[in-house]
Amino acid sequence: MRVLVVEDEKKTASFIRKALQTEGFAVDVCHTGDEGLTAVQTTPFDILVLDIMLPGRDGLSVLSRMRELKLQTPVLLLSARGEVNERVAGLNAGADDYLPKPFELAELIARVRALTRRNAENKATVLRVADLRLDTLTRLAHRGDAEIQLTAREYRLLEFLMRSADRLCGRMMIIEKVWDYDFDPGTNLVDVYIRRLREKIDAGFEPKLLHTVRGAGYVLKEPR
Amino acid sequence: MTIRTRLTFWYAGILILSLLVMGIGTYQEIFEQLRHEHWRRPEERATNDPGGMEVRHEHRSPEDHALNETGEMVFRAGLPAIVLGLLGGWWLTRRALAPVARLTAAVEKIHEHNLNTPLPRSGSGDELDRLTEVFNAMAARLDGSFTRIREFTLHASHELKTPLTILCGETETLLRDESLTPNERDRAVSQLDELRRLARIVDGLTLLAKADAGQIVLTREPVPWDELIRDNFADALILAEPHGIGVELGACEAMLVCGDRHRLRQLLLNLTDNAVKYNQPHGKVLMTLRRWDGLAEYTISNTGPGIPPELLPRVFDRFFRGNAAHDSTVEGCGLGLSIAQWIVTAHHGTITLESPAPGRTLVRVRLPIFTPPA
Repeated sequence: MRVLVVEDEKKTASFIRKALQTEGFAVDVCHTGDEGLTAVQTTPFDILVLDIMLPGRDGLSVLSRMRELKLQTPVLLLSARGEVNERVAGLNAGADDYLPKPFELAELIARVRALTRRNAENKATVLRVADLRLDTLTRLAHRGDAEIQLTAREYRLLEFLMRSADRLCGRMMIIEKVWDYDFDPGTNLVDVYIRRLREKIDAGFEPKLLHTVRGAGYVLKEPR
Repeated sequence: MTIRTRLTFWYAGILILSLLVMGIGTYQEIFEQLRHEHWRRPEERATNDPGGMEVRHEHRSPEDHALNETGEMVFRAGLPAIVLGLLGGWWLTRRALAPVARLTAAVEKIHEHNLNTPLPRSGSGDELDRLTEVFNAMAARLDGSFTRIREFTLHASHELKTPLTILCGETETLLRDESLTPNERDRAVSQLDELRRLARIVDGLTLLAKADAGQIVLTREPVPWDELIRDNFADALILAEPHGIGVELGACEAMLVCGDRHRLRQLLLNLTDNAVKYNQPHGKVLMTLRRWDGLAEYTISNTGPGIPPELLPRVFDRFFRGNAAHDSTVEGCGLGLSIAQWIVTAHHGTITLESPAPGRTLVRVRLPIFTPPA
């Protein structure tokens, strides 16, 4: 997987590169919009991480030009402004995801990963992780033979985690997808729900499936 | 006493004084004339005075006569003149002060967001026109200062984001390092927590700075307010559980409000978060939604430590944290209520915080109800 990062702030670009490289991506970095636009036209990238505020041609303009040229590379927009209107403008211009600065690195990685799998999304109606099953039609959850009672919100949380099984899910990503909030609520809502969900799906069962990655987020996976 | 009344009194005083001066003058004149005539022979006087008025009063002294004469004149001509003068003065001052009243009304409407709208000028170049001009110049200078402060906050919060992004990113990169000792890891995590708190403060500041500059566009649509509240109630139960706090939803009547769904949910979550955070162990939170005088009234009350009455007017101030400011167990960014207030105001509503009883706090949000067109 090859990722192009277009970010003028050298230090930011550097830690994004490092983090994505550790995750196994091949990373190229450009510092201006024009360089970025030339790079995507000449090299086939799988993902583009694009900052909005760039010297010269800005991120939104690069994005619009790319879409005009029928370049469908998935784009994750980064912005220091982090305003709803800008998010909508970015998504309208053809971005696939949007992340306001300052972001959590785990969040960025999770989103880049999500973009690589966008086309291969898990469309199954019965989701499975080890002996945990979630039927998305009947909305019933089972761990082994035991049925698990879930509230509406717990169900959405579990469905999201199961669809992203084995992948790290950042707090903001969960807030966005499960709560449909477009702001950081600044509460420990997610942590509390995760704790409750863990009591329901993991307490009294082995192996434990729902894991906390300190300072990063959560992951639902079968330990190997 | 208004300027108008005072002017009228002064005017009346001057009129009375001038009447008095006039009376004394007239009296002296008549007295002189009469004394002069007194010395002349009666037949001469008779020819000089065809009306024969003097003849009838021949038995009276010239002083008495002159006094009578003057009194009559002052009474007959002076009194109507005073009345006329008073009415005229009243009317004149009203005319003269009308532009002042207009100016007062216009200045009263000035607030920090319409400073750039100049007051209407008469263009006559008179003193009041000049005063209006001075007011306009002052408002323009104030507007400039306000704009600079707003821009400063906006730029400051933007500028803070880049180093914050780098700091957060590098701390997280550090955390990924497998060779960290548990001790080092703890320190890095604690650092990251603080950085994220800082990031939330900067986010809040940016939001408020943008709101101040009128840069936030709200999506307005009919929103089922009661559903949002029920939804929030479910989250509140979860948030309150670890603290052993009981949450109750009282009356929750179905009603629509017109507004931005995301911002309204943010408002509810902010208020709920506060009600849970500033509470006592095993305390209570009660929410209600009722119709009140054609408005949707949402209240959320808690058994918190309460807020002293003298601090109540300041609770919506940015970074105001009351007694909790020194309470390190309560985490918050100090902007929650300011943001809540902005959201409510942007929805043409009102928000108040009351302390109905010692140790109790109640937040009341009133929003206009949306009635779908039939």
